[in-house]
Amino acid sequence: MSLHRAIRGGVAAGAAGLALTLVATGCSSGGAAQDGDELTLSVTTFGTFGYEELYEEYEAANPGITISATNIDTGGNARTDTFTKLAAGGGLADVVAIEEGWLGSIMEVSDQFVDLRDHGIEERAADWVDWKYEQATDPDGRVIGYGTDIGPEGLCYNGPLFEAAGLPTDREAVAELFGGEDASWERYFELGRQYQETTGEAWYDHSGFVWNAMVNQLPEGYYSADGELIVEDNTELRERFDQLAAGTLDGLSAAEAAWDWNGGQSFVDGSFATFVCPGWMLGTITGKLEAGGGDATTGWDFANVFPGGAANWGGAFLSVPVTSEHQEEAAKLASWLTEPEQQVKQSAAAGNFPSTLDAQEQLAADATPNPVFNDAPTGAILAERAEGVQAQFKGPKDSLIQENVFGPPLKALDRGETDADAAWSQAVQLLGELVD
Amino acid sequence: MTSTLIPPPARTTPRRVVKEPLTRRQRLSRFDLKASPYLYIAPFFVLFALTGLFPLVYTLVVSLHDWQLLQGQGDFVGLANFTEVLQDRYFWNSIGNTLSIFVLSSVPQLIVALVLAAVLDQNLRAKSFWRMSVLLPYVVSPVAVALIFSSVFGEQSGLVNNLLGVVGIEPIEWKNDTLASHVAIATMVNWRWTGYNALILLAAMQAVPRDLHEAAAIDGAGAARRFFSVTLPGIRPTFVFVMITATIGGLQIFAEPRLFDVSTAGGIGGSERQFQTSVLYLWEMAFFRQDFGKAAAIAWLLFLLIVGIGLINFLLSQRIASAEKAVGSRRERRRSKGARR
Repeated sequence: MSLHRAIRGGVAAGAAGLALTLVATGCSSGGAAQDGDELTLSVTTFGTFGYEELYEEYEAANPGITISATNIDTGGNARTDTFTKLAAGGGLADVVAIEEGWLGSIMEVSDQFVDLRDHGIEERAADWVDWKYEQATDPDGRVIGYGTDIGPEGLCYNGPLFEAAGLPTDREAVAELFGGEDASWERYFELGRQYQETTGEAWYDHSGFVWNAMVNQLPEGYYSADGELIVEDNTELRERFDQLAAGTLDGLSAAEAAWDWNGGQSFVDGSFATFVCPGWMLGTITGKLEAGGGDATTGWDFANVFPGGAANWGGAFLSVPVTSEHQEEAAKLASWLTEPEQQVKQSAAAGNFPSTLDAQEQLAADATPNPVFNDAPTGAILAERAEGVQAQFKGPKDSLIQENVFGPPLKALDRGETDADAAWSQAVQLLGELVD
Repeated sequence: MTSTLIPPPARTTPRRVVKEPLTRRQRLSRFDLKASPYLYIAPFFVLFALTGLFPLVYTLVVSLHDWQLLQGQGDFVGLANFTEVLQDRYFWNSIGNTLSIFVLSSVPQLIVALVLAAVLDQNLRAKSFWRMSVLLPYVVSPVAVALIFSSVFGEQSGLVNNLLGVVGIEPIEWKNDTLASHVAIATMVNWRWTGYNALILLAAMQAVPRDLHEAAAIDGAGAARRFFSVTLPGIRPTFVFVMITATIGGLQIFAEPRLFDVSTAGGIGGSERQFQTSVLYLWEMAFFRQDFGKAAAIAWLLFLLIVGIGLINFLLSQRIASAEKAVGSRRERRRSKGARR
């Protein structure tokens, strides 16, 4: 009997080695022994998700369930991973984390994911900020994701650099300086020019992130609310592009390489004084500061203000693909992980900002000081920054347009090789070539 | 021997062949003789059919359809994907980049590998140590190589620019200037592959008969003359092999340009596609632009390009081989002359 099994196992392993597709099917059928309550659930997350302790807690509370977790280093790589497996028709985990930036593409194939209304998500609908729940709803009304975190944006600024330029450094005074509730991009660039004239240094790291914030904030960005591509007709978009181009050409951009920032050193050596900061970016900056040899004394701070009003960048969802063999159990786990209580713990572990109202209130009440950001109560500030965020419709090519259509002209502006009109026409040309 | 000139007498009655039925063992052994060799080589061909031929054909099928990454198969469009890709300026940009990086990497790589192999072929102390050392870069994964080199070639405070600063040279924009970025990527490729090629060439050099060297030395040939007239002709076939593998590898560069600039997440290789190679363009098309049909067309065009360059290599090696034959037959003639004498 045991010999027979061994041979069958060997054959199975050999076959799996031959063809990747077999690995996928082999895993999902052989991974969990269905006898009794023994069950293995696989989960794929990315970046800093802070779920490790929560997995243990869930396993302890649900005997018989084992969680096999994979964390992919960046959201971009998770996107490739998820898309490849969707295209191959198998291999996705039981619970898959999906990022807001590529949710538009996922929505095109939303029938590949389980309708969570069958698993009671409607009863929890009031838990989340309403736009988060709506984002996960497809045109047919199917809900395919439990919201995890959101990315309300505040303004990071460097205290010592502000002081040197004769600007206030206290975070409330800084919020006032930028206009408080009425903070506008006009004011932001005006202060930037003032700062640049005084110090000769740049105001923001590079145009791409500022552009991202400016676009995300509009009621309609690259797509109209009903899914039409409107880049060329969107006058607001064009106005903002010109505003940004003028600022950048006046020397407000440090022309940094995003995600590298000269190995983090640019956060330390005073290359730029402000930075657009969604909640999860605070963790990124902390890491880059460390890599660049900086720490709390470098003087970065976090102000409760954002030019142009409330804005959101990023955030994630947990989804269950239809290929999962344990949809019921997977949905239960995903639902539990996104409950307010767990979101508070996730936020403490990963530094991101929760998407459920109760968890947000909790963070606001705790007002835990963040030692890296001059003891700013970042959680409480983000809770205020989350107010008034409007969900913008994300089309299927949103991340492509952001990266490959607007990336090159913005970089050319950063380098001072073009002007606003030429840069805009370059973007329009790229749009025609890359998006049809 | 003259007997063969006389035609055999015509047979009037056909010779009767008694065909005895073969025993089972005989049949088995005949089958064994005929079929076994094919069975022995079958595993390779079965594996090749599964992992090589099937994807190749499937890619062709995909390339003839309107095929989105997530939505899957669409309408049959014939060669439309191919014509569109061939009209895409970014396709030609990627081909240009690939060839440029290929030339910048292969040529110095093979020359240095040759010199390195010649040095290692000398009587050195701690031979194995030196030989192992040149292979060490090959062991490191290309991803790690790319990460380290992108830091070394950093524009603001990378090692190379700092060193250039010491001798008073302006910092070079490694990630923005087209040629500079090609040099940087070629450096990564060279760093990884030079030692590997050197070892293969070294193995070939050691097979060159020592007495040829000695005879040449006695005739008064210097070290350089011996290298060009004895060593080089002796390792020609291996050198051609190394050239062909370098070609195939060089035209498929992906990880290095993909990871060279982390800020261009969309796989365009530099803000203005300065170093987007063809495979990177294929990746962008498939996984960022999600147009699987066009990506498959690019894959096939790249395949044809590699086959084309492979053919050129083959013709080149044919010529070298025939040159060798000429040399060989001359030698043969000389030898037979000597024997007659």
